[in-house]
Amino acid sequence: MSARATKAVVALVLAAAAPTVLQGCMRVCSSSEPPVLINFSMFNQPKYKAQAASAFFYDGKTMRQPVAGTIARGHLHEDLALVTGMDPDGKPLATSPVATDDALLARGADRYGIYCQPCHDERGEGKGVLSERAKVPTANLLDPKFVAYSDGQIFDTITNGKGLMASYKYPLVAHDRWAIVAHVRGMQKKNAEQQQEAAK
Amino acid sequence: MTDYWRSLGELEGSPEFEAVRHREFLEGAADTPDGISRRTMLGLMGASLSLSGLAACRRPVEKIVPYVQAPEDMLPGIPQRYATTMPFRGNALGLLVVSNEGRPTKIEGNELHPATQGASNAFAQNAIYELYDPDRSRVVLQGGAEKTWADFLTYWKTLHAEHVADAGAGLAIVTEPSTSPTEARLVTLLKQRFSQARVVTWAPLGNENRQAGLRAATGAEIEPVYALDQARVILSLDGDFLQDDPDAIRMTRAYSAGRRDPAAMNRLYVAESTLSITGIAADHRLAIPSGAIAGFTLALATELGKLGVSVAGVSGGGTVFDAKWLSAVAKDLKANAGTSVIIAGAQQPPEVHAAVAALNAALGNAGKTVSYASAGTAARSRVADLQALAGDLKAGKIKTLVMLGGNPAYDAPADLDFATVAAKAANRIRVGLFVDETSAVADWHLPQAHFLESWGDARAIGGPLSVIQPLIEPLFAGHSVIEVLALLESAEEKPGYDLVRETWKPVLGGDFDKRWEKTLHDGVLAGSELAAQSLPAADMSTIAKLASFKAPQGLELVFLPSSVVYDGSASNSAWMQELPEPVSKLTWDNAALISKTDADGLGIHDGDLVTLALGDKSISAAALVLPGQAVGSVGIALGYGRTAAGRAGNGVGFNAYLLRTTKTLGFASGLTVTKAGGTHVLAVTHEHWSQEGRDIVREKDVAGHGHSAAGGHDEHDAHDAHDEHGGHGHPPLVSPWPERTYEEGPQWAMTIDLNSCVGCNACVIACQSENNIPSVGKDQVTRGREMHWIRIDRYFSGRPEAPESIVFQPVPCMHCENAPCEQVCPVAATVHGETGLNEMVYNRCIGTRYCSNNCPYKVRRFNFYNFTKDTPETLQMAYNPDVTVRARGVMEKCSYCVQRLTRATRDAKLGNRDMQDGEARTACQQACPAQAIEFGDIRDPKSRVTASKASPRRYDLLAELNSKPRTSYLSRVRNPNPELSA
Repeated sequence: MSARATKAVVALVLAAAAPTVLQGCMRVCSSSEPPVLINFSMFNQPKYKAQAASAFFYDGKTMRQPVAGTIARGHLHEDLALVTGMDPDGKPLATSPVATDDALLARGADRYGIYCQPCHDERGEGKGVLSERAKVPTANLLDPKFVAYSDGQIFDTITNGKGLMASYKYPLVAHDRWAIVAHVRGMQKKNAEQQQEAAK
Repeated sequence: MTDYWRSLGELEGSPEFEAVRHREFLEGAADTPDGISRRTMLGLMGASLSLSGLAACRRPVEKIVPYVQAPEDMLPGIPQRYATTMPFRGNALGLLVVSNEGRPTKIEGNELHPATQGASNAFAQNAIYELYDPDRSRVVLQGGAEKTWADFLTYWKTLHAEHVADAGAGLAIVTEPSTSPTEARLVTLLKQRFSQARVVTWAPLGNENRQAGLRAATGAEIEPVYALDQARVILSLDGDFLQDDPDAIRMTRAYSAGRRDPAAMNRLYVAESTLSITGIAADHRLAIPSGAIAGFTLALATELGKLGVSVAGVSGGGTVFDAKWLSAVAKDLKANAGTSVIIAGAQQPPEVHAAVAALNAALGNAGKTVSYASAGTAARSRVADLQALAGDLKAGKIKTLVMLGGNPAYDAPADLDFATVAAKAANRIRVGLFVDETSAVADWHLPQAHFLESWGDARAIGGPLSVIQPLIEPLFAGHSVIEVLALLESAEEKPGYDLVRETWKPVLGGDFDKRWEKTLHDGVLAGSELAAQSLPAADMSTIAKLASFKAPQGLELVFLPSSVVYDGSASNSAWMQELPEPVSKLTWDNAALISKTDADGLGIHDGDLVTLALGDKSISAAALVLPGQAVGSVGIALGYGRTAAGRAGNGVGFNAYLLRTTKTLGFASGLTVTKAGGTHVLAVTHEHWSQEGRDIVREKDVAGHGHSAAGGHDEHDAHDAHDEHGGHGHPPLVSPWPERTYEEGPQWAMTIDLNSCVGCNACVIACQSENNIPSVGKDQVTRGREMHWIRIDRYFSGRPEAPESIVFQPVPCMHCENAPCEQVCPVAATVHGETGLNEMVYNRCIGTRYCSNNCPYKVRRFNFYNFTKDTPETLQMAYNPDVTVRARGVMEKCSYCVQRLTRATRDAKLGNRDMQDGEARTACQQACPAQAIEFGDIRDPKSRVTASKASPRRYDLLAELNSKPRTSYLSRVRNPNPELSA
């Protein structure tokens, strides 16, 4: 094989190996820059996605507010008490308008586990991860003060937040909030029973 | 035995056609538009690759930008649906619009609204593109300089005071037809404030003749409401009621319902000049010039009189054309008196409409198959008003001209010379979605808000009232027509929300808020369907007046509404421009449609440039020979040849408005056609993807006599799909590898009923909108690179002068159980899913195109270029976030809307329940006004698709290949009149 041919072969082999080497570097070289992509392969598509940035809208968001006064299909609130937890006079409902059954309790436990437990803990004593580690003052749901709350008051707290607690009406639809109310009532009842047990 | 053909090229075996029929991709399909060959391209790419380095190859940083104030009841990634209403040609279409995080992305029909009943059409689907059109007008302009609404308000206050002083004597407003109660209320207020002001309503395709005809026959301002599901015999006189009628969605639904049961099918007769989809649906079609319809109607009345129908005053006359045809139609109408209906086309003169109303009354159809409803407060187009206004403008009597929407400078009758006379007004104000031909005439251009951005209301044909809910705040600070009217009237800005609520307060009465919210939610006011009035004594003498129409001599020119860009208002939509016109399959153009006989006589071939001359006016246009076109008639679609439409619509096609005058709005006689020399490239999609004369479409008549391409074996239809032999003396079908069984989970499948399908194109645009399908442009279409995932083939049979039968066939991916494409993919980019879907993994695809070559149905589409790379920011909002936007070099095809199936499956799982039949619907199925598409789980014995698959009419495409398609067809059934079929 002539020298020229050898050179050509070496160049070819190097050229062929280049992507592999680059790919390897992408994996192991440390850099503050984002990784190198040789083939974008639809990584970045020209479409608006949820929670993304927009160069068009003045607030830089792809997500828009629904126009005030519009009503989406399935979100007509014919029963206002169900979504506000208040009676027509603006007073909190004494009892939940949603009948408590096993399905509701299961749903409530499930949603509580996702949205409430990090602060209020599994038993509802306010000793969740956040209160333990970040020393966030958290309400003990088993406290007699909260046992005395009406269902409507608990619902209102979840809906609009209180003190450091944020509003949860956004991730939780009204029915789910009533499910959590039912679950909190269940925890309070269980706690009362346990204390009675202990007192005996 | 019937031979089907799709183009004259195929029928004649022309060398051009022979050259393409054996190729999967057309000649040059792999070449770049400017002629750089693939090899050169690779060289260039290599050079740029080595130069560019790696700087641009870093993964882009994506930021998460959440809501600060999250709206209630909304989760990012979970779409919402809002009921709203689209004002549409004097009708109102109830829609349900999908909104992703507050951005409308997809249009669907509102199943609670009588005008759509859950379906939609291509124009409704296109509303998304129109909303996000990057060429929409963005700012207030005065003489081309950027201004604000506040500047305009200051300007208007001075003019307002002047016009209050002269009681509006020099003020004229041109509006579009509207059925909005709020607009009617504001116009009344405006006329109170400016008693001398003129409000003129104009639309180039305004259905004025039908209204005038009914006025002549009954003396009332009424509109017809057809109940085609009650009709056994339908006669259409030059009326394309399945496509062009404002109420076409409801009429298609009812018409198809009347054909569902082969034992009790309706029968459709059509007499028309230019082949339309209604003509294609017809059991019997008679091709006669539009100018001869009046004479034909008179002959029909005479014939009916002979049969004993009381048509007083008719004493013979008229033009018979085909005595056998006429006699058969008349007998059928008489035999089905009370369950028959006659419909006349919008371009026919008022006299024909009056006579048709009288004939319907004489046959006892009024109140049964056709009823009449009051037109209420609707503003309807009147050409006489526009003519008077043009006269006053010319005489300098108009000081202030306000043009609200529409595009009169482009589409007004040519003899009015509207653009020139409008410029004589001192103050010219224009409100429009686009800076177009009319804006060029105005000194103030104000951006109009799209209906998806504004509050409003509308009334549908027959009475249903609904509110227009905005889906998003105006993108470009636009104001709606009602907001501008209120501003003109009061010289103050008033929000549309308040204006609409004020109108609705007396309508809804007590408990307003609750009833208002319910109306918004449902998308229609419950109980607002007015009791349709029956015909108030039609004047029979109107029929005899038809005798004044002479039989046409020589050639005529028929002005047709475009099935894709309508009157030009949809011109700038790349979706609509690329949508093949259903009959001619022409994209990105209009053409002078001419019969084969006339073309042969004049020596004209497809694509030849011809001069169309009417009197002293003439235009140049490309000719297209259309089978079934009436001899002596040339048809041309309006809405093309625009000069200021935007980047997609400018310079596309030929402007037929230049030949259209106030006297000849429908059609004109005395046309001369001469060859102009030169040719024009027409991007026609129908010669691609030949099916090589196999048994693709099947039809039979109700008596069971079949037509199919292979012919003579339709008795096997029922077994084909099920037997092991692929039918017809084929050796047993054996698969070379073990076949998979599908025994778990939902197994998706589809059926398409060719007997229901009318070929209206709604599914094609619905699919394009749902699946982020790019438009590729005329040049790419001529190379066979159009990207539609569902195409609608149409096959002719018989002679090109008078095709015997024409069948539409929508073709999406067949989702074969033994998919041939999967066997040849070297990188497993197309694989089979658990639910029976033939899936595409875009990231794996390296673009070998082997799959497409091996697909017997030719349903795969390849991204020859990065069609989506430079998508404008606003159009990025129109894309479905749940569907990948594909890049260059990737194969794609119908996915059965897998994102919808996944969502339905997941929702059922989260809800801890079984999925219901009909919960997962594909976009095409959802949009179909004819309900021709069934989709569902074939493992569910009770599902509609299972029932549909068990139909004796079911067959699979190319079943002899053992590909086992999941998509099946139900054969077409014709209901010919035995008297005529002999």
